[in-house]
Amino acid sequence: MRKILKKPEVLAPAGTLEKLKTAIYYGADAVYIGGDAYGLRSRAGNFTYDEMREGIEFAKKYNAKVYVAANMVTHEGDEIGAGEFFRTLRDIGISAVIVSDPALIETCAMEAPGLPIHLSTQASATNYQTLEFWRNEGLERVVLAREVGMAEIKEIREQTEVEIEAFIHGAMCISYSGRCVLSNHMSQRDANRGGCSQSCRWKYDLFDLPISGERESLVGGQPLEEFSMSAVDMSMIHHIPELVENGVDSLKIEGRMKSIHYVSTVSNVYRQAVDTYCADPDNYVFKQEWEDELWKVAQRELSTGFYYGVPTEDEQLFGKRRKIPAYGFIGQVLDYDPLTQIATIQQRNNFGVGDDVEFYGPGFTHSHQVIETLWNEEDEEIDRAPNAMMTVKTKVTTPVKRYDMIRKLR
Amino acid sequence: MIELIATAESIEQAQALIEAGVDTVYSGEDFYGLRLPTSFNLEEIEKITKLAHGGKTQICVAVNAIMHNNRIDFVGPYLKKLAEIGVDRVAIGDPGVIHILKTEKIPLPFVYDAQIMVTSSKQINFWVKRGATGAVLARELPYDELKILAPKIDVPAELLVYGATCIHQSKRPLVENYFNFIEKPEDTSKDRGLFISEPKKPETHYSIYEDINGTHIFATNDLNLVSGLEKLVEIGLTQWKLEGIFTPGQDFVEIVKLFVVAKEALLAGIWNESLLEELNQKIVALHPEKRELDEGFFIKDPDEVK
Repeated sequence: MRKILKKPEVLAPAGTLEKLKTAIYYGADAVYIGGDAYGLRSRAGNFTYDEMREGIEFAKKYNAKVYVAANMVTHEGDEIGAGEFFRTLRDIGISAVIVSDPALIETCAMEAPGLPIHLSTQASATNYQTLEFWRNEGLERVVLAREVGMAEIKEIREQTEVEIEAFIHGAMCISYSGRCVLSNHMSQRDANRGGCSQSCRWKYDLFDLPISGERESLVGGQPLEEFSMSAVDMSMIHHIPELVENGVDSLKIEGRMKSIHYVSTVSNVYRQAVDTYCADPDNYVFKQEWEDELWKVAQRELSTGFYYGVPTEDEQLFGKRRKIPAYGFIGQVLDYDPLTQIATIQQRNNFGVGDDVEFYGPGFTHSHQVIETLWNEEDEEIDRAPNAMMTVKTKVTTPVKRYDMIRKLR
Repeated sequence: MIELIATAESIEQAQALIEAGVDTVYSGEDFYGLRLPTSFNLEEIEKITKLAHGGKTQICVAVNAIMHNNRIDFVGPYLKKLAEIGVDRVAIGDPGVIHILKTEKIPLPFVYDAQIMVTSSKQINFWVKRGATGAVLARELPYDELKILAPKIDVPAELLVYGATCIHQSKRPLVENYFNFIEKPEDTSKDRGLFISEPKKPETHYSIYEDINGTHIFATNDLNLVSGLEKLVEIGLTQWKLEGIFTPGQDFVEIVKLFVVAKEALLAGIWNESLLEELNQKIVALHPEKRELDEGFFIKDPDEVK
């Protein structure tokens, strides 16, 4: 039986230490995080060096890697201190940095030798000669532009040996990543230095401005739809075999701002799909439950981006929108006693007696439970668990584990 | 030394620009270069090159598109042809093109031009070490940053002093997709002259169009840095680009002539307030109606946009 031994890495986003641990626990082979500086997500919850150390220690137990995104486009002076930053990352055990700015690439290569560099998607690498350029510069990996199609990936793989990382899930820039300063011009916030205001998702008027005469708006539709540039999100869950066979080394999930509910769910699904395919590629059967699971945390409609052609109006957020996500995150299991069947739960959102809740855990385990009785920290019976982070107990008939997550239909 | 670089929309206009005294004509083909007033084939580029060289003018050809596999294989032969024709330099934005120049040993000087992405002296010096003889600066750089950047670079850096500023490039046909959605198929090309305005700012008018490189959006106002020229001379940033993509025909040539006057006055040390005022008024008068002019990020405080 054929088996694929060189499995691609499932790479998940981690905005915080909790998300890092969650992503790895739920199957990610690697996570990418932000440092205090040089990143593109100034509001994504970035890591101090101490948090990084703790994250790396945790990751090691699972043979997982931690990357740091330092993908800002620097202006004069922004690069000060970068050498020390990269050296520190290398010395505390970060596996690679994700960089797009050549000034930072050079600083990292010169001042922190031994720390692998991955070219960020912000650099819009779209052809094999470009990958060869960066390979010659000593880069270990190139994150492809999201505009690269599946057939192009195949060609690129045949022409270069540098590692390829490709986005497979999450939100997308509507522009070539990096080639957009709408935010700088419209919101006075630098898109390439962590301030992107997502102006692309606004509603615009679109019009003719004739030399003589007044402007004439062209927006239309029934009901009226204003001009917008908002893309739907990406999901490649149906195409794992092709990604593997075409030699993608790392499958990247977007979203350092996303919740542990999101990160755990998406990591869990792709872990399953990749493992299932690689274990027996010739008898691989896609499981609908993987897609269903992704819809539970989807925030927009899902598409395959540029993988199979240039996206049309169907891959933009026009018209009436589906109410998503369908599920809300309500808590995490802290402890479970199989004898009494009592689960201790940390509340994350309001739930209570009568709610039909779903438990899920790593390895794609799922179970359902209608909450019958609920006790608070003082063992008093309560109807609802209304307070954030409160600890409650309830009976769960199917065994669950510590760190299992709980959600319910909205 | 001040170098004026101007885009050409036709062979005739190129000739007029050469006669007007530009130092470098900028042109190219849209398969390889971005946002050109007109896409010229090699034959036309050769003609312009001959005209330019006859007038002691240089030619820079745009090879600054983001290349996908289906284009990159044509780039090597194209660059070789440009070298044969004798163009003076090319503008490159995709490192894959630099890789081809190097591996195929094509004797063609290049400037690094990744548009929005060129924002610091260290970046420029990185590309210089990879063979670049110059770079094109992003338009989002305030004077206070340019002042720090300029002394730290060893090559000339080109700066836009007149014309439209591109602020967004998508590979998606964003306008066509929209028109398809509202079932109102319309022309989305540059010639159509479409604009968008911000939700709460109906007075804004960002040019938007589509071509084979995707969708392009431009800043609401075009740039006019005539008032900043003296400061640019002081800090040694004297490679000045004039972009005629939305300023057609003879009007653009006339505006270029005004910048030639400015250049000569600055070089002769006779630059003064009243000349500046006169040139500025003439530029505003020649600039297309309803497209406004301002000084863009040049006059911003670096802390204003972070």
